[in-house]
Amino acid sequence: MNPPEAIHAELPTLLALAAFTLISLGLGFVANLAQRKGKFLEKYFLGNRSLGAFAVALTAAVMSGGTFVGFPSLVYSFGWVVGLWIASYMVAPLTILGVLGKRIGQLARRTGAITLPDLFRERFGSPGLGILTSVLVIFFLATNLVAQFSAGARILKPALPATWVQTFAAHPLVGLNLDAGYLLALAIFTATVVFYTSYGGFLAAIWTDVFQSLIMAVGVMILLPLALAASGGLAHATETGMKAAGDGFGFGPGAGRDFHPIGLAFSFFVMWAITGMGQPSTLVRLMAFRDARTLRFSILYLTIYNAVIYIPLIFIFIAARSILPSLPSSDDVMPHLIVKLANPYVAGLILAAPYGAVLSTVSGWLLIVSSGLVHDIYQRYLHPTARERTIVWASYGMTALVGLAVAVVAIHPPRYLQMIVVFSSTGMASSFLAPAVLGAFWRRATAAGAIASMAVGAGVTMTLYLIGRFTPETLGLANLLPPSPDIGTPGALRPYYLLGLDPCVWALLASTVAGIAVSLVTKPPDPARVRDFFGVDAAADPA
Amino acid sequence: MQRTARLKRKNDVDPVLVHARREAIIIAAAWLTATVYSCAYCYLLGYIRRDRPLGPDDLHPILGMPSWFFWGVIAPWGACALFTFWFAGFYMTDDDLEAADEPAAGAGDAS
Repeated sequence: MNPPEAIHAELPTLLALAAFTLISLGLGFVANLAQRKGKFLEKYFLGNRSLGAFAVALTAAVMSGGTFVGFPSLVYSFGWVVGLWIASYMVAPLTILGVLGKRIGQLARRTGAITLPDLFRERFGSPGLGILTSVLVIFFLATNLVAQFSAGARILKPALPATWVQTFAAHPLVGLNLDAGYLLALAIFTATVVFYTSYGGFLAAIWTDVFQSLIMAVGVMILLPLALAASGGLAHATETGMKAAGDGFGFGPGAGRDFHPIGLAFSFFVMWAITGMGQPSTLVRLMAFRDARTLRFSILYLTIYNAVIYIPLIFIFIAARSILPSLPSSDDVMPHLIVKLANPYVAGLILAAPYGAVLSTVSGWLLIVSSGLVHDIYQRYLHPTARERTIVWASYGMTALVGLAVAVVAIHPPRYLQMIVVFSSTGMASSFLAPAVLGAFWRRATAAGAIASMAVGAGVTMTLYLIGRFTPETLGLANLLPPSPDIGTPGALRPYYLLGLDPCVWALLASTVAGIAVSLVTKPPDPARVRDFFGVDAAADPA
Repeated sequence: MQRTARLKRKNDVDPVLVHARREAIIIAAAWLTATVYSCAYCYLLGYIRRDRPLGPDDLHPILGMPSWFFWGVIAPWGACALFTFWFAGFYMTDDDLEAADEPAAGAGDAS
């Protein structure tokens, strides 16, 4: 077997991947044409609240670079227990779309909100809450985008011809200690995604999401039999994995370390099924779906899609352990497996699946970050009378600028990209979920309560990650906190697991308690505002 | 739609709120059931513990999967899928979410 670093796909693989990328770019152009009439911002950032069931289900931002790079890396490293790590996806379509869907959809229509800060500002009547929301969305999503850009580059890298990489490596701008293949792939990925997202806006992100989600399902379906055949079947692959990595590969809590003890198993049922409800990308889609029937069908489609993607991915990367037993970086397992197993043309198609997942995630998130900067900060506070043409160019420019800034940070990616995804998902959910739930279902919720909830949730998340990074001993907290248990994913971004639970549990709990407590001790909200959002809408009443 | 109109007249409470709250409570119960079952089953039968060492002879593969994984993850995944089909297919109501208002102040084009 070639050493993994030397794997390069043949030219047809690159051509197939290029064809896929061109189709994505084409969809960006068509989307731009489709939204030329009407209000620019509502169409560019929200698709005119017209998303159908298929689009909502396949673009619920569930699939990402984490799905096709980070998650396979964990299965490959730690074995079957990673199936329990992701198992909450069995109920995630219900929780993510079903709990808040109707109320967020209704509140967004009543307030005319276009972005998440809009929604919170109007629901609670607090400009300060809007600013805080914008700042937190931008911070956490930009962090996550670094992982997505890095994942995109990792997938593209083995598809690049060796001659291209050698030519690029000879360029004086490429540093001696940098991986030229990774850098070139990062540059190509950045140029592609920034161009079509800047130009096409929300519709481009949605259309490419749908197209790419279908390609992902096809890719996984092709890869599954190839991996099972090459490994000699799941049972054989499990035994081989256990011989190579230890008995923990076939059982909990995981191969080589206490990857997933029972406290974390519970935590990750909170992580994916509950924190998924509070992601800005999810909440924005809940503001954009067409009607309640669309929501119901979205839940059904997403249930099928999750089962078709995640269960086969577990099987594929259990098999990968016996097919590629000694990868130096487990984050490279997906592209290397594809290049090794499939013929060059099919490899291009299958590589398009994870590449598509990353492209679609990045495009959606880039828009949320740029909408936060352009709509929620520039237009609202800096230049309220800006002409539409100015806003259009500011939106294009800001999307491009954010993409380029993230790419620069992604030049030095951390190990185990999935940990960035987990950190930012936790941060966003602990900031936005409690205010969203309280605002949707509780009349007594106040603006001060929502601000407290957001600040405490984000604060607890960042505090636990800081303590994990620097250890309680270094921070002089040894008398208060015991050493963090050596569990979960290793790496620099490992949090402090208080009582063996992931920070998402503590942050969500603290955020909810703060929201309720501060609401109760502050002045009740204006009855007229409560009636607006909790009473029967007079305009809609047939009487 | 009749049920929606009746609720509006009776309580002057938004029926979307009533339905959404009831559906959210059922979903929360489903999440809790899935969490408790999967975590407990996998921990009791699929985790290596100090008092319970496990090895290749304890895998008892079902369709190539370790039996603890099949019954602790795959089987409840199937059960949840069936529940979801019933819930979203037949139980959830098609409430009227109303037409969109004009974008919030400061939103939309300024022309």
